[in-house]
Amino acid sequence: MHEPGATTWLLAAAACAFAGMGWLALAMPVHALQAWGAPPSAAQLARLRWLGGSAVLLALACCLGSDHATMAVLVWVMLLAAAAVAMALVIAGRPRRLRLLAPWVRPQPAMS
Amino acid sequence: MFATFRQAMAWLHTWFGLVLGFVLMAAFFFGALSVFDREFDRWAIPATRIEPQPMPSYEAVLRPAFERMQPTPEAIDAMRPRANGALPERFDTIAYWSAYTTHRDPVVALFAGFEVPNARHPGEQIHAEATVDPRDGHVLRDDRLKVGSGFFYPMHYGLTLDWKNLGIWIVGFSALVMLAALVSGVVMHRKIFREFFTFRPGKQRLRSVLDLHNLTGVVALPFHFFFALTGLLIFAATYYFPLGHTQLHELHDRAAALEAQQTGLPHERAGVPGGLANVDAMVADARARWEAAGKAGDVGFLVLMHVGDANGYVSVYRAGTDRIALVGDGIHFKAATGELIRVDPPPTAVGRVAEFLTGLHLQHFRHWLLRWLYVFGGLAGAVCIATGFVFFVEKRKRQHAARGVQGARVVDALAVTTVTGMVVATLGILVANRLLPVDLPARGDWEQRAFWFTWLAALLHAGWRSAPVTKGLPNPAWREQTWAIAALAIAAVMLNGLTTGDHLLRTLADGYWPVAGVDLALLAVAAIAGFTARWLGQRARAVPAEQGVPRAAVQRAARLSGAAARDPGHA
Repeated sequence: MHEPGATTWLLAAAACAFAGMGWLALAMPVHALQAWGAPPSAAQLARLRWLGGSAVLLALACCLGSDHATMAVLVWVMLLAAAAVAMALVIAGRPRRLRLLAPWVRPQPAMS
Repeated sequence: MFATFRQAMAWLHTWFGLVLGFVLMAAFFFGALSVFDREFDRWAIPATRIEPQPMPSYEAVLRPAFERMQPTPEAIDAMRPRANGALPERFDTIAYWSAYTTHRDPVVALFAGFEVPNARHPGEQIHAEATVDPRDGHVLRDDRLKVGSGFFYPMHYGLTLDWKNLGIWIVGFSALVMLAALVSGVVMHRKIFREFFTFRPGKQRLRSVLDLHNLTGVVALPFHFFFALTGLLIFAATYYFPLGHTQLHELHDRAAALEAQQTGLPHERAGVPGGLANVDAMVADARARWEAAGKAGDVGFLVLMHVGDANGYVSVYRAGTDRIALVGDGIHFKAATGELIRVDPPPTAVGRVAEFLTGLHLQHFRHWLLRWLYVFGGLAGAVCIATGFVFFVEKRKRQHAARGVQGARVVDALAVTTVTGMVVATLGILVANRLLPVDLPARGDWEQRAFWFTWLAALLHAGWRSAPVTKGLPNPAWREQTWAIAALAIAAVMLNGLTTGDHLLRTLADGYWPVAGVDLALLAVAAIAGFTARWLGQRARAVPAEQGVPRAAVQRAARLSGAAARDPGHA
């Protein structure tokens, strides 16, 4: 964190890690149910999983924008761990807030 | 003995985790604090509350300070049995002088080694240490405890048990067992990915504790694994397998002589007096060479070997603040002339891996975010172990209560001491640091005593209050010590403001983050402890109501513990 640019990259990395973990959580039926009260379609879950995976990789790219490769990988792994704990706490306390991460998802009616 | 592999792993995980968890808890907690050891130092020693300085000029600052250095009377007394006859008043044959600083250190640590005349073993050295203000070379009193680097850090890797390095062996053994606990934990926890984000605080107490145990264990698994492993590696060669200095002593000496021949860095004194050229010029030369190689040029470590001898040389090492790997990039000069002897070659592939793994653990890099992420990892480990204790006790408490056994009570009291008691003791040393008189002789010893007495008090309190556990009820000591944490943390912040004038309003306004950060962290601890204590209080009041339907509660407990016994990973 020598220059302001590095800080911006790291903030972006943290945001990507958090959003990525959120999408990966939403892609799991049990958490999707907690967020929407109804299960999204299989295709929607698959799309969330794909999005989550991409965001996690994008977080790595942002870390590389700020630091040496060896340091960037370490920052990335630790950011993912912190993001996962933060996400678990959100799910435990306010699962419906997760909807904000995927406003386009319309869960199917409960009858399906 | 066990029907399945999973059961064997469960047994291993439970019992090894329980026995060594007490040690691992200290290693994790004080490891997390050690990430900010230099900041604790500045909080604890107000005289050092200045900005970190680069390595000062040798000629202007370091040389006069080095020349004043002599071993303490205590060090001389300790040397007497190892010498034939009397020891001199002054030690004049200087084996080495060295100076060390980091990008977070406002002070420079100086070390000196002297040859001992009349020593029984050839090559025996007596050492001296000093801490100086790099701005003017003014020597700081050494009886002030550097609470961070001088106490929390040694607690982290050796429990401050110095006798025969016992603490280092205990922590190392625990780290080895921790690797086994991680593997067995993964085997037990069948739904690692399906329950990756799972934490259900509202559920059964047993369930939510296990959720938190799994979550903190799994999410930070790479951190736990690599820190246990690299911790072991760092001490492996020095303490656990000191082959070169024991079984292979003569070979070691010959290897050292051969190495000296190859590198041109003399292993021993020539016995002929030699001069010393301008060291600052050598440092400037080294910095220019690093810069030409595209590396940041902070000097971390400066060593003068065989001072005053014709074989003398000066080594300049870089502070590797720009990368994880703990690199030295040493450049060596002939002391008498200042001519270059050697530039350390790039390490081999194996050397690079070792540098990376060591640097990963020791974190000399300049990266505040990663530093905080390490604190997060360390505390996640501590939470993982603490919830392991709580799960162990909660699972057995009611069974033990029904059978009239004391086991759960003892473990619960020890768990209280290890979890909340350790935090209480840590705050105890900070409060003592601000309360003890400034001129108290051996003040650092009293600070350490304050730590151990506070911890002992926490143990006695936990044992004294643990009677309800035998009836299957929670131990009120958890709640009471949590209140103590909140009170002590606030007291430490207030005492810092009162005794040094560096209250939060001022440190924040000045942007003096080392002290402001410690104070803010203490206030956060107080807030979390306050909420936790209140929550524990609400729950304690709810428990008697639960007891009102003893039949259902007992049935549920039996069902839970039965399920836990069948499948401890998923009770």
